[in-house]
Parts: sequence; structure tokens; C-alpha cells
Amino acid sequence: MDVLYGDVQAVWDLSIHVDEGMIVALVGANGAGKTTLLKTISGIVRAKRGEVLFSGKSLTKLRPQEVVDLGISYVPEGRRLFSTLTVLENLKLGAYPPRARPLFDKSLERAYGLFPLLKERKNQRAGSLSGGEQQMLAIARALMAIPDLLMLDEPSLGLSPLIVRAMFELICTLNIQKVTILLVEQNIHQALKIAHQAYVLKTGKIAMSGRGDELLANQEVQKAYIGERWSKPRTLSSPS
Amino acid sequence: MKDKRAVILACLVTIAFAIVPFFLDVSTSYLGYLLFLFFCYTIIAQGWNFVAGYTGQISMGQHAFFGLGAYTTAILWLHDITKTGYYFDPVTMFLSGLVPVILAIIVGIPLLSRLRGDYFALGTLGVGEIIKVVFVKGGAFTGASDGLHLPSTVFESMKPYYWTGLFLAFFATALVYFLTRSRVGLALRAIREDETSAASHGIHLLKYKIFAFAVGGFLAGLCGSLYGIYLFHINPDSVLKLDWTLYPILMCVIGGNGTIMGPVIGAFFMNALFAVTDIYLVQLHPIVAGILIILVMKFMPRGLIGLVDTIKSRR
Amino acid sequence: MLKYFSVGLIAQLLTNGVLFGTMYGIAAIGLSLIFGTMRIIFIAQGTMIIFLAYICYWLFTLFGIDPYLSLIIIVPLSLLLGMGFYQTLFKEAAALEDKNISLLIAVGLMFLMENLMTVIWTGNPRSILTTYTSLVFRPIGIDVTFTRLVALLLAVLSTVGVILFLKKTLIGMAVRAASEDMVSATLVGIGPHRVNAVAFAIGIGLAGVAGVSLAAIYPFDPFYGFIFVLKALISLALGGIGNVSGALLGGIILGLLESLASFFLSGGWSDAISYAVFLLVLMFKPEGLFVRSIQKA
Repeated sequence: MDVLYGDVQAVWDLSIHVDEGMIVALVGANGAGKTTLLKTISGIVRAKRGEVLFSGKSLTKLRPQEVVDLGISYVPEGRRLFSTLTVLENLKLGAYPPRARPLFDKSLERAYGLFPLLKERKNQRAGSLSGGEQQMLAIARALMAIPDLLMLDEPSLGLSPLIVRAMFELICTLNIQKVTILLVEQNIHQALKIAHQAYVLKTGKIAMSGRGDELLANQEVQKAYIGERWSKPRTLSSPS
Repeated sequence: MKDKRAVILACLVTIAFAIVPFFLDVSTSYLGYLLFLFFCYTIIAQGWNFVAGYTGQISMGQHAFFGLGAYTTAILWLHDITKTGYYFDPVTMFLSGLVPVILAIIVGIPLLSRLRGDYFALGTLGVGEIIKVVFVKGGAFTGASDGLHLPSTVFESMKPYYWTGLFLAFFATALVYFLTRSRVGLALRAIREDETSAASHGIHLLKYKIFAFAVGGFLAGLCGSLYGIYLFHINPDSVLKLDWTLYPILMCVIGGNGTIMGPVIGAFFMNALFAVTDIYLVQLHPIVAGILIILVMKFMPRGLIGLVDTIKSRR
Repeated sequence: MLKYFSVGLIAQLLTNGVLFGTMYGIAAIGLSLIFGTMRIIFIAQGTMIIFLAYICYWLFTLFGIDPYLSLIIIVPLSLLLGMGFYQTLFKEAAALEDKNISLLIAVGLMFLMENLMTVIWTGNPRSILTTYTSLVFRPIGIDVTFTRLVALLLAVLSTVGVILFLKKTLIGMAVRAASEDMVSATLVGIGPHRVNAVAFAIGIGLAGVAGVSLAAIYPFDPFYGFIFVLKALISLALGGIGNVSGALLGGIILGLLESLASFFLSGGWSDAISYAVFLLVLMFKPEGLFVRSIQKA
């Protein structure tokens, strides 16, 4: 599948390509346009110019609920769960699109399989879950729609390092299960580690692109984004 | 230069209206009455326009200010407080505009600081209803449900009403015109666009919102005073009815919210429409008003002026 | 005013208040559903209730159909009417940023309906009188009007019905989700127009129930709707938007307030007190008196 893109206020003449079965990462500083890009693909925001193509089909004029039914699920930044509904209700709603409804039982099994914790807490209000659990629920909910492309916006935000690691392992697992992933991340190190393909965005344009591991090793990227942590050793007196 | 032309046009139109009584006997003709109503509605509509069109706060309480103005005039007159002896006493009128301003400030401070959008509209509605009850229960001072009566012997002709109405309508329009072009207007528009950003630029939100609200109240009060003098019999049912809020809103919206000439055009259009439907059935005109507002909001939410703009930009 | 002060009297006032207040309550639930999804205050709700009361009246006077039986016709009719109104009037406006436009359309609708009803049925109050409209029970010395009791029953049934709908059906869950976060709802595939239309239809459906209840209890005229919706709004404010059973309770509280106030003070002041309470709640406790949510709409 391809996702090609054009221009929008925050994004200028951007074009990215996501091939089937890959993990593609979008990295870059805040405000670089990464979220805007995802929003446009999912249909929340309309592009002024350009096209979004998905397996040859144009998504440009579609509304978010139609995009979901075509197989693209978006987990927005901050998760945005239905906090007043229970875990199970959130999952049920995840399977709302017509294409996912008949397969609800199977999807639920799969979700519980990936996230046994959710099964335990299925009747708990989503708002009462911890940050990590909420992120899991958000991803599980998105998976209930049986997406071919899963877009994740800052999944590691606000989570502890241990959970973040589990998160990225999960992303790889999903990918192995044939889900194409488009990932927007602040945690550049982890993102580039697992990505097959990555784009570095800067103020709405593509600054660099290439294979994940190549970019990780790239000097410029290291200096600009990965920063002090990996290029200088930590001393006891440095604040952190 | 578009501005200058508009101003000149407005002045010409006003002069045209001013000469009408020389050709038409306004006291007996229906047209005279209609034009008088048109002026009245314009005054209130401009007031609402300023509050809602320029600051985005929808106030549904204009009728309270209107009624307050009418009652103030009646009370001042009956107790001969201003002692000027003129029937069309500018002092009385001014005071009748001022009392609603006081109410606007008293009510505005709690309401505007805490309520937004829909909630604010509801709050003003509630205030309007409370005022109605207060007046009905006011005993001898406000005449209870029967209301107050002014001596009707003073009525000789429609002309003073007509001209005062025209003058006030012109004044209201001019006032809104100058205010919107002043720093105040700029601040208000900033508030309408984005409150938080306006606040961060040092604009004292509450002060400006109350100012706009007070101006709306002032104009409604002035009109109430005028209408009260016209009606002679001021009672809750006639001066505190919701119509006095709803019709001006409709006119403003139909003409074009947030524009200078919008309320005027809307008022003119609607009054003309009412005049036509009144020929058939009096009840028809609120029905027409209702249908009209639905149609306008659906198809031309920016009103007639917006429609003209859209047509112009399409060419 | 205080001619005699007895427990019986207070109990009577309380009972009346509770029974009448349930009608405010179901009107409030309708408002809550509509606001939750469309974020507008449907100011024409009261007028809708009166309109449906008139339909009930018509069915009674023209066809001799018992008011409570007419629910079979009126409830589906109001659901359809709600759907219809949404599609024709509010669909495009609901998608706009500027919610004032929808508000003004609702105002226009209110105006239109009020005066249409005046033309058709005149402004004189109408009421329905059947064999049981003056039936009164007297358990433990308190007068309980049969029709008010039925109103309570209908209100409770409707509330339970709505709660079950919201909890147990997928579309009901979708309405709750959309009320919380419409954008996220679209991201799971929920179409906003679908949930808006459903919420709106139910809102009007509830108006139908309220209308029938009202028709059997009190005389009504075309302009009563506005007053009624103000009371419904007060109930909603008391109960907290988004809280279905809260809205019903809010209505009951208001009913109690009115009943007591209009006895100890004269009629006009009780209205003023209701509005004053309204303003106070809006300003100081906008999330309603029952902060812990029992059920979300």
C-alpha cells in the first residue's frame, strides 16, 4: 500500500511512502507536522493539496469513520479512550465498523491474548486504568477494527521505560502478525531501532529519510535528536 | 473608500426617511407605524449585534433591558422626577438607557465571568424571566400586572415619535459603527476570535465583555423608553415579552450578524414581510419569522449581507 | 399563608412536587441526550412536548383514543419526527463549529411551532378529561392523583428504557462514546450523523411521553412549552449534563422546590426562585449536584 501526501498548513509538500508489512517511523521535534500528517490520513483534517492513496484508493475526501472501515486505524496522541465506558465497551466500539463486526469474537480473543490484563479488567471504567494499561487498551481497541494499517501517535508518551520497552516489543509482534505500522514517536532511539523505514520531519518538511538502522547510526541524527544521552557519558553531577 | 461610500449612503437614506412625514401623514398611515417599528427594532438589533455579532456572546435577555427602560421612563414620568416638563424628555430617555446599563453590569459580572456560549444565553434568559416576575410583583410602584399608565392626552401626532425613532436608529447605527472601529471594537473582535489569545495579549476580557453587554442594554433601554412613551400603557406582557429579544435577533441574523448595516437591512426586510403577512393573518407573522430564521440559518448563515458578499466573490 | 401546618400538608406538597417533577425530568433527559451529541441546547423541547400533547388531544377528541393508549401511536410518531427534524433542520448545522447557528434554528423552530399551534388550536388552553382524570387515591391521608401517578410511572419506565438502551445496545454505547468525545468516536468508525439522529429521535420520543403525561394532568396552551423547557433546563442543570438518572432526579428536585415555594410564597415568586436557583447552579456547580455519575448519557 502507499500513502502519499501533499500539502496542508502545517505540512509543506510532503510525500511519504508506506509499503505493506513494514514499520515506518516518523520522527522529529514537536510541531514538525507529524501528527498533522496522521490526522490527514485518518480524515480528521483535510489536505489543501495532494492525495492520500491507500492500496490505490484515494482517501482524500473521506471522513474518519469511512477511513476506519477501509482498514486504517489511528491511535491518537494521548490515547483518547472513552473514559466513562468500560474496557469491554471500548473494545466493542472498536469493532464498530461493518467490516469488523462479524469478526468481533475472534478479534476479542486476539486482543485478550495480546493483553491478558485487559481481560481481567474488562468491566472496569477505562478512565480508572493506569497510563500503560490505557495505552494497551487504546491499541487493542484500534486492533478490533482489524486494520491493515495501524497508525500510532506517540504511544510511549508518559509511560515508564519498562512499559515503553514492552510497547515496542508489542509493535514488532503486531508487525510480524502482518499489521503495517506507521509510527510517530518522540522516543527516536526506540522508534528507529524497530523501523524498517523512517522519515525525519522538520517544520513540515522531510529532512531525511532512509532505513531505520541507517538513520540511527547517522551522525547528524544522533547529534540533533538523540542528543547528549548517547554521545556523552553521564557524570554524577549532571542534572537529569 | 467603500466605507466612505457606505457612510454617505447611510446618511442619504436617513435623510430620505426624515422627509417622509412631509409627504405622508404618519399619524394615520399604517406605513408610518411600520417605519416607526422598523426604527425601534433597528435600535435593539444594533445593540444585540454589538454584543453577539462582535463578541460572540449570545444574549437572550434584551427584553429585560427593553422593559426596564420602558418602566424607568414611566416611573420617572409619573413621579415627575426629572421635572423638565417635556414629554420627549432626553434626560428621561438617557436615564432609561442608563438603568439597564446598571443591570447589565450587575448581572454581567457574575454571568460573563463564569458562563460561556449556550450557558450564557440561558443565563440571560433566566435573568429576563426573573425581571418579569419582579415587575409583576412590584406592587404599586410598578403597577403589578396591570402596569403603569402615562397620560395619553399628550399624544398629538406620530411625527415626534417617528423622528425620534429615526434619530435613535441612526444614533444606534453610528454608535456601533464608531465603536467597532475604535480600539474597543478591535479588542472585542479579538475576544470573539480567540479568547485565550486575547487574554494573553493583555486584553481584560471581563471589562470588554461587560462593556459590550452594557451597550446592548443601553440601546435596548433607549428603545424601551421610546416605545413606552408611544404605548402609554406599560405592563409586563407588552414590554417584557420574549418577542423583544427574539425579533431583533432574527433581524440581525437575517441581515447579517457582525456587520453594521446587517441589522438595518434585516429589520427593514422583516418588518416589510410582517406588513405583508399581516394583511392575511396576524398570527402568521411569527410563523413566518420562525420559518425565515430556519431557512436563513440553513442556507445563508451569514445573512443577506453575507449572501451579497458571496455572490460578489464568486464573480 | 400558613393557615395550618401539618405533616400531612407537607407530605402532600412533597408528593405533588415529586409527581409533577418527573415530567421535567424526562424532558431534561431528552435535552441531555441532544446536548451530549450535538452540543446544542434544544430550546424547542418544551414546545415539542406541547405539540405532542396537542396531538394526543386531537386523537382523543377526534377519534376517542384514550391518552395513555395513544402512546402506542405517539411514541413511534415522535421518534420519527425527531429523526425527521434532525435530517431536515440540524444535520448540516450540527457539523459546524459555530453552535449558535443550531441554537438559532431551534429558536426558529420553537417560534414556528408555537404559532402554528396557535393557528390550529387557538391560544386557549386545552385539556383532556376522561373518566379517570379526576380520579384521586387517598393512601395515608394524602391525595394522590391517578394521572400524576401514571406520569411518574411513565417517567420511570422511560428512564429505565433509556438507560438500558445506552448501556446494552451498541448504538447506545456509540451515543455515550460520541457524547464524551466525538472525534475519537469517528476514529473507531462511529458516524456522527447516525448518533446525532438517534439521540435527537430519542429526545423527541421522550418529549412524546412527557406530552401525553402532561395532557392528562394539566391544561396546556401553545406558549407553555417555553416555560416548560426552562424548567427542564433547570432540572438538567441540577442533575448535571450527561447524567440520565441525574436529570430525572433534577426534575424531581425542581418539582419539590416549586411545590413548596408556590405554597409558602405566591406563584410568581416560586418561578423567580426556580430561575435564581438555575443561575446559581449554572455559575457555581455547572456539572450538576450529583457529581458522581450514576449513568452517563
